[in-house]
Amino acid sequence: MTLLKIENLTFSYPQSIQPALKNINLAIKKGSFTGITGPTGAGKSTLAYCLNGIIPHFQGGKLGGQINLRGDSLFTLGTAQISRVVGSVFQDPDAQIISADVEQEVAFGPENLGVPPEEIEQRIAEALYLTGISGLRRRPTTVLSGGQKQRLAIAAALAVLPEILLLDEPTSELDPAGTEEIFQVLKKLNREHGITIIIIEQKTEQLATHADRIVVLNEGAVVMDDHPRQVFSKQQTLEAVGVRIPQVAGLAGMIGVNDRTPLPLTVEQAHRFIERILRR
Amino acid sequence: MNRQVLIKAENLTFKYGTEPPVLRNISLEIARGECVAVIGQNGAGKTTLAKHFNGMLKPVSGKVYVGGRDTERLKVSVLARTVGYVFQNPDHQIFHDTVGKEVAFGLKNFDLPGKVIEERVTAALETVGLTAHHATYPFNLSKGQRQRVALASVLAMQTEVIVLDEPTTGQDYRESMQIMNLVKKLNQNGHTVIFITHDMALVAEFAQRAIVLCNGEILADGGVRSIFSRPELLKETFLKPPQITALAQSLNRYAIPPDVLKVKEMYELLKARGEEIGCFS
Amino acid sequence: MAALVEYIHEDSPVHRLNALTKIFWALFTLGFGLLFNDYRYLLALLASVLLVAASARVLQSLLPVISGLTVFAMILFLIQALFYNQGQVLFYLIPGVDRVPVTVQGLLSGLAMAARMMTIILSFLVFLTATRTQDIVLTLVEKFKIPYDYAFMFLTALRFIPSFLNEVKMVSDAQQARGHSIGGINPFKKIKSYAPVTIPLVLLSINKAENIAMAMETRGYCGGNRTCLRDTRMGRTDYLLTAALILLLASSATARAAGYGVM
Repeated sequence: MTLLKIENLTFSYPQSIQPALKNINLAIKKGSFTGITGPTGAGKSTLAYCLNGIIPHFQGGKLGGQINLRGDSLFTLGTAQISRVVGSVFQDPDAQIISADVEQEVAFGPENLGVPPEEIEQRIAEALYLTGISGLRRRPTTVLSGGQKQRLAIAAALAVLPEILLLDEPTSELDPAGTEEIFQVLKKLNREHGITIIIIEQKTEQLATHADRIVVLNEGAVVMDDHPRQVFSKQQTLEAVGVRIPQVAGLAGMIGVNDRTPLPLTVEQAHRFIERILRR
Repeated sequence: MNRQVLIKAENLTFKYGTEPPVLRNISLEIARGECVAVIGQNGAGKTTLAKHFNGMLKPVSGKVYVGGRDTERLKVSVLARTVGYVFQNPDHQIFHDTVGKEVAFGLKNFDLPGKVIEERVTAALETVGLTAHHATYPFNLSKGQRQRVALASVLAMQTEVIVLDEPTTGQDYRESMQIMNLVKKLNQNGHTVIFITHDMALVAEFAQRAIVLCNGEILADGGVRSIFSRPELLKETFLKPPQITALAQSLNRYAIPPDVLKVKEMYELLKARGEEIGCFS
Repeated sequence: MAALVEYIHEDSPVHRLNALTKIFWALFTLGFGLLFNDYRYLLALLASVLLVAASARVLQSLLPVISGLTVFAMILFLIQALFYNQGQVLFYLIPGVDRVPVTVQGLLSGLAMAARMMTIILSFLVFLTATRTQDIVLTLVEKFKIPYDYAFMFLTALRFIPSFLNEVKMVSDAQQARGHSIGGINPFKKIKSYAPVTIPLVLLSINKAENIAMAMETRGYCGGNRTCLRDTRMGRTDYLLTAALILLLASSATARAAGYGVM
């Protein structure tokens, strides 16, 4: 089922000659895990802003095309209405945590939407459980690690019970352990709870492992939109755009792939790939 | 070869007030011309250690020597002539209305003659590939370009040592490679380079030596090859070797060495291995 | 010091009370402490404050502050003991010439002063450590009909003070590393020397404010009728306690008027 349908989306920031997004067409299926990548200035964040209502409600500009959210035009909905469907997580952990303690932070969204206190209580417990930070409920937000802060940001978005979780480079300020924490949480939310994930990410090794689809943006346009295996086999295009190719995929690209030995995306897959070749 | 030690720490311990130590008993030497990566998870003490190299922090006990001088009594602005420090976020330092002025800032603090300043700014901007942006407003540049402005402003000071704190965090692939290739070039030109990073592939590709920190202590200090061939050691501080190294380690029984660092290197190894047994096309 | 009076989370009966009740209690302590100057009354009051601190389980955390206050109280006691020279003389500090008398009344009034100072300060510290800042603000919003937006703005500003201070440190470190130093005697030059720190800070803050606003927007802020997770209404215990405190204060005032508790 298509949850979100983007048709001929075009956007230009005020006082800018070049459009930031050019004729984007994408359909996001319910329960999918989509990774969006591409170089700085490709329009990734702008696209995210279009999906969570920052554009046009907070950031003006010239907007064209259509985004359909389950049949409704997204542009006619207010940010509060959109937030019930699309939960947003941003890059900087410190610039999106609003409250002084964990519990209050998760409560913020539901409070804004007028959810009764008893139900907020339940949602807090649930959201903290899903993100694995139930033990931090009473902590001040300032003492959390980077990974914990981003998990809190995810919990806060989840408390509104969105169908889609939209994350804009949530791991860029995190260390490898923090990055892994976030991807494990996202995987669980996606696989076990059917939450649709759209994540903008530079760390393509993680995307290759977890996403079921990868969209590559360049200069405001979609240059690739396919299964990770397909995307990472077009290595010349990726080099030209400036997308990092996971090392094991790069190696397989040098060796050559075929139907019996498809492109590996993880170390385990690469291990089997090499074994098959050496035994041939 | 004559090994000249530029930075030396002896039993360095550091803590804030009565809190538990952030650094414990660190002893190390960094020689002229080295390219060292400092790795470890967040909170391991990487930045705290690096800030001792330019005197921003002073040890609570133990000693730090820069160019043979004890940093204890030296001001940061004095040590700044020997150790340049590029911060993680360029926006913590950029405040001029043109790139040129920004790069000249450090030199003006040293009271250098105008002509020398101009020459050095031009040279530094050329090194980082921003010559065309001499008169540009820094905030019209991309984050990656601003990081290079910050780097140029440190380069212009012509310090022997350059410390970079997570120079590629928040940058895209191309920008990261640009910065790291620059770092490599500086090292080749004789600068001693110390960089902090979370990106193990960059360590494998650009550093000769890695210092692994864990809970304020040195867990390992040695050649990158030897460090990455001990995955159990990295695990202690929640790091993983690069994918290609992990793959090599999983192929142990095919006589692949455990310290492969680059994709190209792995390809050559496999090719040789495949030709031996006649199965590589 | 700032870190010592931060809210400490505990699940104690004192924490569960409404913020307003605790404000009343602190005001009651202030009132009672100022009404009487008999050391016995004031020591009893101090004991009651310590008891409340103990039942709020914040006594342990307040110990460093208490020991600091004790030093201060002792100085106060000594000053009072030395300069109060009416009443029965115990001994002279400079014996031969009978100068600087130390009197029984002087010692007792010193004790009273010290106990009063400690009690009043401590009661406010207990109030602050056992009450969330946002609860205080929200209660005030509720009671005095302050628009929620203003209260929220205030709370958000509070929340960002530590990260702002952190940023100040990072920016000034970054400029120092480029040989910058703040100073000079010439006031004009001195002001100018702050620019490398203040300009990046202003730009960073604007950027951060924009990001926070976006985060709030995407979480439905200003979406209409708001609910509140924490109940800021007074419960039965709150009303009972407040009534008891008011009664106690009123009867204390009557007793004081009748001449009790004064030396």
